[in-house]
Amino acid sequence: MEPLKTTTPAPALPSISSRLLRSLLVWSVVLTVTLSAAVWWSVNAEIEELLDETLQAAAQALSVPLALDSAAPAKLLGQQAQPDQTPVSPADKRFVWQVVRHADSAGQPTQVLGSSAGAPSAALYTTATLGLSSSAHWRIYGMALAGGQRTLYVAQDSSERSEAQLEVTLAAALACIAVALLALLGLRSGMRKELTPLHTLAQRLSQLDVLHQAPLGRAERRELQPIHDALDALGQRLERRVTNERAFSGHAAHALRTPLAGINAQLAVALREAPPELTGRLQKIRAASDRLQRVVTALLALFRSGVDIKLQNLSLSEWLKRLPVEGLAISFDDNTSPALQADSDLLAAALINLLDNALRHGARTVAVSQPRPNTLRLHDDGTGCSSAQRDALQLAVDTQSYEGVTGLGLMLADIVARAHGGRLHLPAADTGFAVELQLSGDL
Amino acid sequence: MRLLLIEDDAILGEGLRDFLRIEAHVVDWCTTLLQARALQAEPYDALLVDWQLPDGSGLEWLKAQRTHGDHTPAIMLTARDLLADRITGLDAGADDYLVKPFEPEELCARLRALARRSAGTPSGRLRFGDVEIDLASHQAWQLGQAADLTAREWAVLEALGLRAGRVVSKSDLERLTVGLDSEVNSNALEVHISSLRRKLGRSLIGTVRGLGYRLGG
Repeated sequence: MEPLKTTTPAPALPSISSRLLRSLLVWSVVLTVTLSAAVWWSVNAEIEELLDETLQAAAQALSVPLALDSAAPAKLLGQQAQPDQTPVSPADKRFVWQVVRHADSAGQPTQVLGSSAGAPSAALYTTATLGLSSSAHWRIYGMALAGGQRTLYVAQDSSERSEAQLEVTLAAALACIAVALLALLGLRSGMRKELTPLHTLAQRLSQLDVLHQAPLGRAERRELQPIHDALDALGQRLERRVTNERAFSGHAAHALRTPLAGINAQLAVALREAPPELTGRLQKIRAASDRLQRVVTALLALFRSGVDIKLQNLSLSEWLKRLPVEGLAISFDDNTSPALQADSDLLAAALINLLDNALRHGARTVAVSQPRPNTLRLHDDGTGCSSAQRDALQLAVDTQSYEGVTGLGLMLADIVARAHGGRLHLPAADTGFAVELQLSGDL
Repeated sequence: MRLLLIEDDAILGEGLRDFLRIEAHVVDWCTTLLQARALQAEPYDALLVDWQLPDGSGLEWLKAQRTHGDHTPAIMLTARDLLADRITGLDAGADDYLVKPFEPEELCARLRALARRSAGTPSGRLRFGDVEIDLASHQAWQLGQAADLTAREWAVLEALGLRAGRVVSKSDLERLTVGLDSEVNSNALEVHISSLRRKLGRSLIGTVRGLGYRLGG
């Protein structure tokens, strides 16, 4: 047995919601990074300026007592005299000052006249450096005292400044991320809310019966109104078309069925009245007429397939016995479910043509079974076909490209199966030909 | 059975009329409702009505007949095959519904079923004393002995059998057994009644003086 050819499932369609969310996420990240960089740059500059001004202010404040008395530095703190007696806190090391007398032409060396507790013992600069400057570890402001003989250096630890800048930057970045996340959640919720009318529209369309439903009318959103209008216009066109087709099929039914009934009646009379030598020929005409009637009935059923499906619970074994195909024995597998839900007329049209096919391909018996719920399997003992032919038939059925490949029987059976929401399958069979009519889509 | 066939298609109407006559029915064939209305007073055993006729709807005509108290069994013969049409047809007063194209043999089987229902006998056999009548095979037996009946004698016996226990007037019985196309011989009915009494026993068909004949009862 060859495996049944299956169709590749269609790839999942891109989702507007997912795509918008992904886009929002990317833009949120870009926004957060950009905003954080801008805040970092701006805050950095402002803090730098603020701390420098603090250094200058501290130097100005210190310069007044230091300028009045040349011994003031030593008096002020006396750390030079007793450097080890006072414990130095980490805070003292972050902000320091020195009064330095730099080396002069007279050969006097650079000397630290006084300093704060955490200040380095060596002079911050060996030559007088005024104004703001930076060394490896310090940010320094130099100020001349006593007419330039001494220099006051006020310095701040560079790592302390960096720490302050980092804290501010991190706080700003975290605030940006929080705002971006909140915005993302808000946008996501808003987007879902705005997409709800689309879901509602899809649900309404899935249950839309163009013949018995009022137009879609006013949309919930302005952007959807053109879609509503277009669908309403399409519905009206479809309604007109279906109405015309129904009228046509009604006329066609009358125009075709009545002459066929007339042929039947006249043939029945002729068979009673004809001499024996003509009876055989009349019987053949009657058989051809029966086949013509089945084809016409099937064609008429085609007109209304998909329009008026009237599902009924059919007692399968009883129903199958009523199928008028002479010369073919139909066996029913008693082990399968006896019930089937289908449109009786459409199913009869499909099965009569399938059985007629079987008869024309040399079958004498057809086994009917239900491999799955609401699926009918017909397996005949006719000549069957090659696997290549079967594949070609299945492809034609799957793509609904029947012309030139399938006969009326398979085409009608597939259309009837599709009208029920199912499909037609041609499973491999060791002998004869097998057909499966799946009569619902939820299997 | 005397049948009124209302069918506008000439080939079908003629074919059905001839086939039903071969099957020993008396058939009056109309192609319009106007012709059918002209036969309103005629007694029939069953009506065969097409839905779409040139001068109106056969269904509406049947509905009107039912409203006026005509309970003659009726079969709709129509090309309309939708479930809704079948329900509408049956609800309008039709006793059966046959979708074209159909085999005339099936129509005859349905007529026999109608006859069984009219006579109130699911088996299709009627028994009156020692006489038994089979509506399906058109045969009658007295004390188990088959009677050799002519077509006309059978028509008279069937018409009375379908109205067993009721008095059927002489004129109605003549029209039920002869139809419109044949000339009625004033003495023919008495001859057939007499012949039936001779073949199936004198007590089978009673004469109700001044009114008509009655089978059984």
